[in-house]
Amino acid sequence: MKRQIIKIALLSIMILGAATSGFSQAKKPTLMVVPSDVWCNTNGYMQVYDDQGTKVKIPDYKRAFQESNDLLAVISKINGMMAERGFTVKNMESVVKTLESERAEDAVLTSKSGAGVSESPMDKLKKVAKADIIIQLTWDVLKTGPKKSVRFTLQGLDAYTDKEVATAGGTGNPSFSAETAVLLEEAVADKIDNFNAGLQRHFDDLFANGREIIIRIKKFDSWKNDLETEYGGKELNVIIEDWVRANTVKNRFSNSDATENMMLFEQVRIPLYDANGNAIDARGFTRGLQKMLAAAPYSIVNKLTAKGLGQAVIVLGEK
Amino acid sequence: MLLITGFSTAVYAQKDKKANADTEAWRYELEVAGTGVQGTYLLKVWSYSKKPNVAIEQAKKNAVHGIIFKGFAGDQGILGKPPLTTNSNLEQEKDEWFKAFFADGGKYQKFVSLASDGAVAAEDRMKVGKQYKIGVLVSVNVALLRKDLEDAGIIKSLNAGF
Repeated sequence: MKRQIIKIALLSIMILGAATSGFSQAKKPTLMVVPSDVWCNTNGYMQVYDDQGTKVKIPDYKRAFQESNDLLAVISKINGMMAERGFTVKNMESVVKTLESERAEDAVLTSKSGAGVSESPMDKLKKVAKADIIIQLTWDVLKTGPKKSVRFTLQGLDAYTDKEVATAGGTGNPSFSAETAVLLEEAVADKIDNFNAGLQRHFDDLFANGREIIIRIKKFDSWKNDLETEYGGKELNVIIEDWVRANTVKNRFSNSDATENMMLFEQVRIPLYDANGNAIDARGFTRGLQKMLAAAPYSIVNKLTAKGLGQAVIVLGEK
Repeated sequence: MLLITGFSTAVYAQKDKKANADTEAWRYELEVAGTGVQGTYLLKVWSYSKKPNVAIEQAKKNAVHGIIFKGFAGDQGILGKPPLTTNSNLEQEKDEWFKAFFADGGKYQKFVSLASDGAVAAEDRMKVGKQYKIGVLVSVNVALLRKDLEDAGIIKSLNAGF
């Protein structure tokens, strides 16, 4: 009887395990709507600072959210319509607030390292929000005599590859009487389906040809070897390139830059699932390369870092 | 009397059949008529039939058919929309399902309504040869239609696979 119970328990664990791996899904991309630099500039939401004699303008997102009702209404409308299609959108206003609280920490970090952190506001946003696709929003109100119309553009940018993966835009019907807010609402309703069609094409491509990531190989100065060091008659850069070729979907990648100190692989198409059926991202994929380099015969101590789902960096020579 | 009623019913049924064949042969035109409220499309559908009433009724079917398979071009200030499916063979692959969906009195009716209660403007009623070409304004609840097709596994949802 006891044996039978153990048998049944083992069997149910096996079935549960199989079902879990069967339902394993690719990580769902997260989206965030951001007003474009052009919109911020046109509407006066910019900060100007002096960078060693050069005047530099950066968008002031915080003030834009505090002062523009239209921006809030448009973003919340887009968020609502994307949620209807099964995608929750990160609220940029909350992200901006998180950025504020992190600013103090960053200041401490800067003083410790002794070097200034040079990051654009967009870099900072990406770092905090970790959104995979940034929906960049631009609009302006055009006037011809008493008639008003809204020119509206939505651009879906892949946060890691910086490619424009979906877009929709155009100028709406001119109106004598409609409020700008109404014209904007109409513009969102009109454009969002075309934008989502572009997004669908991007996702279809993702499932067919794999997720696109970027891999960087760097070395610590303290490491005595470099990427041209030979292991078993083969240079290290060739060994790494061979590994990437063997593990990408349809062997797709582009080795866009290579020196003795660094390598840059772009458009690396990685499978959405590993051999066990688990979803993988840039970090998970590159861990295979890290393990190979750390093991004999190479035995290279290395450090793997990742930026969101789409970029991985291996630094050779130290942990 | 019975004979006459029977005969006229048979004639209407034949016209319906012809109208359905026209829909399957993509013999209709969609024209964007305005930006509908959120989740709806406002369209003018041009349908053909010897009987104007048949064309008006068929316009609803044509509108849903066109939105799923054909899409429509834009007009001044309003963007055209791509079809709900990106699979050009979907109609053949799910033949049985669509036959039931587009049958007379089928589920398609749930997603479409005549925007002007079936009233046709004089300039939207044309005689082309022996047939009428009738333009009818319809409103299609695309959000609901898309959801229904996704739930039935006919088209993929945007977040499918994630």
